[in-house]
Amino acid sequence: MNLNIDVTEGNGKSAMKLAGEIDAYTAPQLKEKLLPLTKIENNQVEVDLEGVHYMDSTGLGVFISALKSVNESDSKMRLINLQNRVLRLFQITGLDEIITLDTAIRGGND
Amino acid sequence: METLKSDISNYRNLLKHYIEVRDEQSLYGAEQISKMFIKNNVPPEEIINLHIQALEELHPDMPDYFRHSMNFLLEIMISYGIAHQEHHSLREEQSELKSEIAMAAGMQETLLATTKPEIDCLDIGVVSVSANQMSGDYYHFLKGRDDSIGIAIADVIGKGIPAALCMSMIKYSMDSFPEATMNPKTILKNLNRVVERNVDAGMFITMFYAQYIPSESKIRYASAGHEPGFYYNAQTQKFEEIKAKGLVLGVSPEADYRQYERVIHSGDMVVLLTDGVTECKQGDRFIEIEEVLDVLNQYSDLPAQEMVDKAYKHFERMQNFQFRDDFTLMVLKKEADGQ
Amino acid sequence: MEPQSCVKIKQEWDIVKARQLGRDIAREVGFGTVDQARIATTISELARNIYLYAEDGEICFEVSEESGHKGILISSVDTGPGIENLSQVMEDGYSTSGGLGAGLPGVKRLVDKFDIESETGKGTQIQAVKWLR
Repeated sequence: MNLNIDVTEGNGKSAMKLAGEIDAYTAPQLKEKLLPLTKIENNQVEVDLEGVHYMDSTGLGVFISALKSVNESDSKMRLINLQNRVLRLFQITGLDEIITLDTAIRGGND
Repeated sequence: METLKSDISNYRNLLKHYIEVRDEQSLYGAEQISKMFIKNNVPPEEIINLHIQALEELHPDMPDYFRHSMNFLLEIMISYGIAHQEHHSLREEQSELKSEIAMAAGMQETLLATTKPEIDCLDIGVVSVSANQMSGDYYHFLKGRDDSIGIAIADVIGKGIPAALCMSMIKYSMDSFPEATMNPKTILKNLNRVVERNVDAGMFITMFYAQYIPSESKIRYASAGHEPGFYYNAQTQKFEEIKAKGLVLGVSPEADYRQYERVIHSGDMVVLLTDGVTECKQGDRFIEIEEVLDVLNQYSDLPAQEMVDKAYKHFERMQNFQFRDDFTLMVLKKEADGQ
Repeated sequence: MEPQSCVKIKQEWDIVKARQLGRDIAREVGFGTVDQARIATTISELARNIYLYAEDGEICFEVSEESGHKGILISSVDTGPGIENLSQVMEDGYSTSGGLGAGLPGVKRLVDKFDIESETGKGTQIQAVKWLR
C-alpha cells in the first residue's frame, strides 16, 4: 500500500496530486502534507484524486480535519477528479455537501 | 549458578573439540548452547567472557594481542547487552499489554451487550465480528414502552482501542436520552452534538437508526452518513438500496437529519450493515455490492439469524478467514401476520 | 572508607578521564573484566548526561563496604536542568529518545543499586553501586 504525494505551490494556490491508496497506513502521511497547506491564510488548496483508487474512512477523516482547518484560515479547499468508488464514499457520508468536490468526474474504472 | 558452571565446562569442551577436529557436531552443540543462553537471558558480554576464560584454560600461551582484542570485543558488547535486556523486558511488557487488552475487550462486550428483542412478526438476525480484539462497530436494540423497537447500527472511523472507547461514549449517551425523544432523527441530532463536542477533528461516527412500530408494520429511519442498507421486496424478489442521506456524526454541530418511513409487508426484509461487509476483498479485488445481495438472496428462505450466520461464513471463507475491518450484518424480516 | 576521588565533567575528554579513574579503582577493588566494562559504561552514561545537558557537574567514586560486601559507589552530581518526569525517563524504550537521561534505564541494569533524585531547574544526583561478586 503506497501513496504518492506531489505538491506544487505558488500564487496563493497549492495543488496536491495523489496516487495510490489512502488507508490507515498512508493517511498520516497525507495529513502531514495536507494540513500545513490548509493553515496558510487565504490559500486555494486543490487536491487531485485521480490516481486514488481506494480510500477508507481514515482518509475521510483527514479531509474533514483539512476542511475545519481551511475554514479557520479563510482558505478554500476543493477535491477534483474523484474515482467512482471514492466519490461514493463522500456521498454516503454526506460530506459531499460540506466539502467542495469537482463534479465533472472523468468516470474511471471501479 | 550450577547451570552456569556446567555451561562453562560444556562450552570449553565443545570449543576444544571444535578446535581439534572442526566437525559439524560441535557446531550443532554450539547452536544448542546458544539457544540455552538466550533462554537464560545471558548477556553477550558474558558469553565473550566465557569464551576468553575457556581459551585461557585451553591455550595459556595465547598471544597478548589476541587477549587484548578479546577484551576490546567484550567492551563492544556491553551496549548490545543492555539493548538485549531492554528488548527482553519490553517483550514482557507487551504480553502484559496484550492481556490487558483482552480484559478490556471482555469489558467492552459486557458494556455494549444488547439483547435481541423477541417480538411477533419481526424476525431479527445479527452477526458482528471485530477485526481486532476490540470492535469499532456497534449495534443496539431498544424496546420502547409503546412496543416500538429501536435499532441502531454504527461504525467508528478506524478500529481497535480508540474506536472502542468512542463506542462506549455513544452507548452511554444513548442510554441517557429520555424515551420520549426516541425518534430516529432526534436521536441522531442529539448524538451528533455529543460526538462533535467530545472527539478530535478528523474523528467521526456513522450511524443508521431505525424504529419499528409493530402496530403499523412501519419502520422510521434516519442515517448519519452510514453505509446504506437494503430493502428486500418479497413480491418483486428484488433488493433496493435504502436511500437516506445525512452527515456523519461529529463533523458539524448544526447537522440536521431527515427522517424517512415505510410500511413493511409480509416477507419483506431490511438489511443493515457496516462497510466491513461491503469492503470485503476477494484476493486484490473489492467485491461488488451485488455479490453481497446475491449471497443474501441465496439464503433468504432461512430464518434471519441463520441467514446472517451463513452469509458471514461465506465472506469469512472468501477472505481467507482474515477480516480487514469490523464486520456487522443485520437482517430484519417481516413475518406473515398471525404467524 | 577511602577518600573520594572525583572528576569534573566539562568536555567530552573528561568522560574518558572519569572512565579511566573508575576502571582503575574497580580493578583495585578486584572486579573482573566484564564488571570493569559495565562500570566504565555506567560512568560514560552518567558523565555524558552532564557533558550534554549540565553546565556544571562531576563524577565521584568511593570504595564502599557494607556488611562484608565490597563494592564501588559511583555518584554523579550536576546543576543542570533536572529531569521533570523521572518515571518516564526510567521506563524501557525511553532510551531511543536520545535525550537527557536516555541511558539511565540501561545504567540501572548494569549496577546493583541505583538511586536518582532530580529537581527541575536545580539539577540531578545519581548514585550507583556495583558489588563485588
